[in-house]
Amino acid sequence: MNGMKLIINNPPPYGGKLVNNIDKKEQELKGSPVYDIKPEIDRKSGAPIRNVYREIMSICYGFFSPLDRFMTKEDVDSVLKYRRLPDGYIFPFPIIFDADKEKIKSMQLKEGDRLYLRLKGKPFAYIDVDEMWDFDPADLAVKTFGTPEKNSDALKKPLDEKHPGFSIYRNMSGFAIAGKVFIINEPKFKDPYSRFWYPPERSREEFLRRKWRTVIAHQTRNVPHTGHEHLMKEAAFMGDVEPCRGILVNAIVGAKRIGDFVDEAILEGHEAVNKYGYIKPERHMVSFTLWDMRYGAPLESLLHGIIRQNMGCTHHMFGRDHAAAGDYFDPYSTQELWINGLPSYGFDAPPYDVEKGLEIRPVNMQEFFYCPRCNEITYSETCGHSEAQRFSGSFVRGLIAEGVKPPSVIFRPEVYSAIVKWWRVFGYPFVNKKYLMQKEDELEVEVG
Amino acid sequence: MAYKIGLVLDEERLKLIKGTELEKEIKDLFGGTLKMIEVEVTEEQAKILMQLFPRVRIDARGFVEETPVAFRKALYRSLINHRSKKDALEAILKDDKLLNEIKEMASKEDEYIPPP
Ligand SMILES: [Zn+2]
Repeated sequence: MNGMKLIINNPPPYGGKLVNNIDKKEQELKGSPVYDIKPEIDRKSGAPIRNVYREIMSICYGFFSPLDRFMTKEDVDSVLKYRRLPDGYIFPFPIIFDADKEKIKSMQLKEGDRLYLRLKGKPFAYIDVDEMWDFDPADLAVKTFGTPEKNSDALKKPLDEKHPGFSIYRNMSGFAIAGKVFIINEPKFKDPYSRFWYPPERSREEFLRRKWRTVIAHQTRNVPHTGHEHLMKEAAFMGDVEPCRGILVNAIVGAKRIGDFVDEAILEGHEAVNKYGYIKPERHMVSFTLWDMRYGAPLESLLHGIIRQNMGCTHHMFGRDHAAAGDYFDPYSTQELWINGLPSYGFDAPPYDVEKGLEIRPVNMQEFFYCPRCNEITYSETCGHSEAQRFSGSFVRGLIAEGVKPPSVIFRPEVYSAIVKWWRVFGYPFVNKKYLMQKEDELEVEVG
Repeated sequence: MAYKIGLVLDEERLKLIKGTELEKEIKDLFGGTLKMIEVEVTEEQAKILMQLFPRVRIDARGFVEETPVAFRKALYRSLINHRSKKDALEAILKDDKLLNEIKEMASKEDEYIPPP
């Protein structure tokens, strides 16, 4: 015997302990300085692109553990240089509370003070201010993602303001407030979000209740077609001595882009997959994380690994072009990171094989399509025919816009019904300007 | 590189194509659950389409996707008129008046599409 253990179990939270920054005692603002959270606006298009409340939620409920704060200059320098926090734990992106410097100045806020935050006009959270610091958003945006010269193992071309993640950093105010953040007033999620809210502590309890020793995470920002469904089912076969006990769909809910599916339909579309038995509900559950995607491909995959390890997952699916927008990143850079590492971002080995690394295991998958010879949905690496009929998300969106119900072999009718349900609510099957503005105005929650 | 626009054929559209020389161009997709005609698009034409309709993009299969519904309807009508895929697309891209009408209709598509 070589002592190799075959059976694996839900990993501990990253860093050992889940962050739980909910302060139930501190519900009044006590005359301290108060700052109203506002959406970040793209200066060119006028569109809302981020709301920092989502980062507060994800920090305070432990999704980003061990990160428990908005970053100091030292934190950000360390993240940009090593993709790690100063204590050595991996973190791919600067998490910055950027504020209006003039407003903060007029409050005479000092380091050591407690700054209260209001959301939608109601008491929501506070930051215990450790540091206030200035930065150059243009420089930060470049350094956050890197350049094709410095990061030739991942980037094909320089990022610009057409890239939604770059644009988030580029449009920041340039003035940061750093320190631990606590929620004082837990927001209530609106329907249908409330049904899918499983912060790490709760998802872990749920896995235990379901006896899900092994769980594979599926990242999504799409309504699932049968390609996604097959991906989930086949990827789950990677487990330990048996396929994974559970499949966790974790949607990233946040600021949208025109043409995306709406978040409500994404969540209920995935739910329809288990509700109607395409994957049995005992094996499949749907959840979400609040985050305005940075579309950082391999960098984003590190954050996904952190979030889903914290939620209790043992495995994570990574497809071609994982969490990318446009053609800035090499479509295989995420899979490369999880097989060999990406030295230019500080990973000479994959994230599970470095010091203070993650414990979640990657399952790198290729593509599913319909093969007329196999007469079924099949996997690119096993089907030996050459008549693949592919159906991308944009192909399905085209059918839907044209009023054609997609055939059930590529799109389940009950998943389509979830789209139509929200189409009737919003007058539109996808995100349009009206939806975008309304969503960022009303957010996913009610406060107080 | 040449691209393609996949024009979906529902029953109404199929009726007008049956019996014409275009019928042999109909492709069965997904085990015959969807019928389609593929119109070839040159690199130059793809560029024009992307300029006309900012959301248009080319997917991994080389298909020009997310053209407005008004454009695809016009392409279908042009196909019926010209009975040639090449002529059908060229005719639309030459017709400035028609293109303006399509753009006008497409801008409304951004606000409202009637649910089925
Ligand atoms: Zn085959």
